[in-house]
Amino acid sequence: MRQLFKTFKVAFQAINKNKTRSLLTMLGIIIGVAAVIMTISAGEGATKEIRDQISGLGTNLLMIYPKTEHRAGAHVRLGRPIVKKDFDILQKNAVWISKLSPLVVSGAQAVGQDGYKYTPIYGVSHEYFDILSRGIALGNAFKEDDVKAARKVCVIGETLRQELFSGVDPIGRKLRIDKIPFTIVGLLEESGKGTMGQDQDEIFIAPYTTIQNRLAGYRRGYDMIMASAISEDHIADAKIEITELLRESHKILEGDEEDFEITTQIELQKITGNITGILTILLGAIASISLIVGGIGIMNIMLVSVTERTREIGTRLAIGARESDILTQFLIEAIALSLAGGLVGVALGILGNQVIYKLTDFFIPTAPYSILIGFGFAALVGIAFGYFPARKAAKLNPIDALRYE
Amino acid sequence: MSDKIVIETKKVSRVFKTGSIEVHALTDVDLEIKEGEFVAIMGASGSGKSTLLNILGCLDKPTSGDYYLDNVHVNKLNKNQLADIRNQKLGFVFQSYNLLSRTTALDNVELPLVYDRTGRFSNPKERAKNALEEVGLGNRTNHKSNELSGGEKQRVAIARALVNDPALILSDEATGNLDSRASIDVAELYVKLNDEGKTIVMITHEPEIAQFAKRMIYLRDGRVLTDEPIKNRSTKESALKDLGLTD
Repeated sequence: MRQLFKTFKVAFQAINKNKTRSLLTMLGIIIGVAAVIMTISAGEGATKEIRDQISGLGTNLLMIYPKTEHRAGAHVRLGRPIVKKDFDILQKNAVWISKLSPLVVSGAQAVGQDGYKYTPIYGVSHEYFDILSRGIALGNAFKEDDVKAARKVCVIGETLRQELFSGVDPIGRKLRIDKIPFTIVGLLEESGKGTMGQDQDEIFIAPYTTIQNRLAGYRRGYDMIMASAISEDHIADAKIEITELLRESHKILEGDEEDFEITTQIELQKITGNITGILTILLGAIASISLIVGGIGIMNIMLVSVTERTREIGTRLAIGARESDILTQFLIEAIALSLAGGLVGVALGILGNQVIYKLTDFFIPTAPYSILIGFGFAALVGIAFGYFPARKAAKLNPIDALRYE
Repeated sequence: MSDKIVIETKKVSRVFKTGSIEVHALTDVDLEIKEGEFVAIMGASGSGKSTLLNILGCLDKPTSGDYYLDNVHVNKLNKNQLADIRNQKLGFVFQSYNLLSRTTALDNVELPLVYDRTGRFSNPKERAKNALEEVGLGNRTNHKSNELSGGEKQRVAIARALVNDPALILSDEATGNLDSRASIDVAELYVKLNDEGKTIVMITHEPEIAQFAKRMIYLRDGRVLTDEPIKNRSTKESALKDLGLTD
C-alpha cells in the first residue's frame, strides 16, 4: 500500500514534468467525453421536447383515421371512408368521449389585402380548439352555429397574418381562398416550430362544413376524427368504445379486421420515444468513437514516452524497481491523464450544453447518466490503452535499457 | 580490512547464443572480494568487463557457476528478489550518470529509497541530503539535473549509489564522460568513501584512474589475466602532477 502511494507520487511527477505533452494527450479524451455528454444530452433534450409537444396536444387525444396502404407509391384507402354518419354515431353514443371534431385537410392559395401565401387548410368543428388546447390570441374561435350553417369564417395563424396583412389586427378582415371570401374571426396563439420543423403558425382553420361544401367535397369523407377522452384514465375505454361503434357503423363482420385506425396520445409518445431513444444511442455511439480515438492517442503518447524514457526505466530497474513498480507507474500515468481529461471533458460538456442553449434556444438538460458514461468510458480507455505501453516498459531488459541512446 | 566476504564467484561463465554462434563472454571466473576493498577491473573492450559487472550487479545471471553477494546465493533468486537485492545491497554509478532529467539532485538521490520495501529508513529526505553532503554537494540539493556540470552530475549519481547504505558500490566507467580534472575528483571521492569503509568495484579503461584503487583485476577474453594489489597508489596530487595540471 505504501509502495503504491510512492508509485503514485512518481507517476504524477512524470506528468508534471511534461505539462504540454500531458495536456495534448488529454485533449483527445477531453473532446471525447464532452462529445459523449453533449450528444447524449442533446438526444435526451430532443426526446423531452417532443414529449412535451405531444402532451401539449392534449393527453386525452384520440385520432381516428381510415386505414391506408401504400400502393405504387400512393396512399390508398382500404374499405370505407369515415363520414358524417360515423361522426354522428360517435357523438350520440360514445360515453367516454367528451369532445369530437372531424378534420378535413386541404391546401390552397390564401389571398389577403397585402399578399398571398399557399397554406394548409384545416376544416374542423368548434371543439377542435379545445381538443388540441389551441388558444386564441385575438378575436374568438368560430361557434357551433357557424359550423352548422357552414359560414365562411376562419381562424388564422400568425404567419398568415404577417404574410397577408403585414401584421395588423386581422379580425373582421376578409381573405380569399380559391376566390371564396372568408371573414377572419380569430387569430391563433403562436406555437412556433413543430417537432418535425414545420411552421405551426402557417395555418388556416375554418368550419369543416364550409371546407367540404366549397373546397374538399364530400366523397372522400373526413381525413380524421379527433376526439378527447373524458379523462386520461379512460383513453383505453374510449378506444374500445370507438372501435365497437365504428365496426358496427362500417358493418364489419365478427373476426374481420377494421378498416380504420385509432392512435392515442400515449401510443404516439411511445413511438416517438423509441425513435429518439434509438437516435440518442446512435449519437452516443458515434461520440464514443471519438473517445476511443482519444484513447489511442494516449496509447500513442505513452508508447513514445516509454521509448523516450527507456534509460530512465533502465535506471529505475537497476536501482531496485520491480517490474510491477514500473507497470503501475505507467498505468497510473495513463489513467490519471484520462481521468483528468475526463473531468475537464465533463466540465466542457456541461458548458457546451449551456452555450448551445444560449445560442439556439434549444434547451439541453445535461443528463446525469451521460456524465457517468463519459467519465467511466474515459477511465476504461485509460486502463485499456495504458496497459500495453506500461507492460512494454515493465518488460524492458535493464541491461539494454541502461545503455539505450 | 575485515574478513567478511562481499563477493564470491565460483567458476562463473556466461555464454551468449545468437543463432548457432556461441560467444563465451566469461569463462570460469573465480573472484573473492572482501569488505572494504577497492578493486579496479580493467581490460580491452570485448574482454568481458561489462558482462562481469552485469552479473556482479545482479542484472544478469551466469550461465554456469555460482555467485554469492553478501552471502546470498544470487543464482537462486527470481526477478523480484533480484530487484530487491539490487535495491538493498548495491549502488550503481554509470558512465552517463543516468539521472532523471529535470529532476532535483535531492529527488534523484532519493530514488532508490522510493523502491525500498524493507522500511529500514525512516527519513528518506534526510538520508538523501546527507548523501549529497557526503559527496560535497550539500549546496546543490535543489538544483535540477540539467543545471549541473558533468562532474557534479556524477557526484549526484554517487550520492544516489550511497543512499541505500549498500554492501557494494559498482562503478561502470564512471569517469568515461568526464574531463581529467573531474575524473580525478571522482576517483578521489571513491578513495574517500573507501577509507570510510565502503567496498567499491570500479570498471575503467583509464590506467591513471585504476591506479587509485587498491587492487587491480585485468581481464582478457573473458578470463582473469592478472589479479594483484596496486603498489604505488595515486593520490589527487600525484595524478594532477602526472597530467601537468598542478596549479
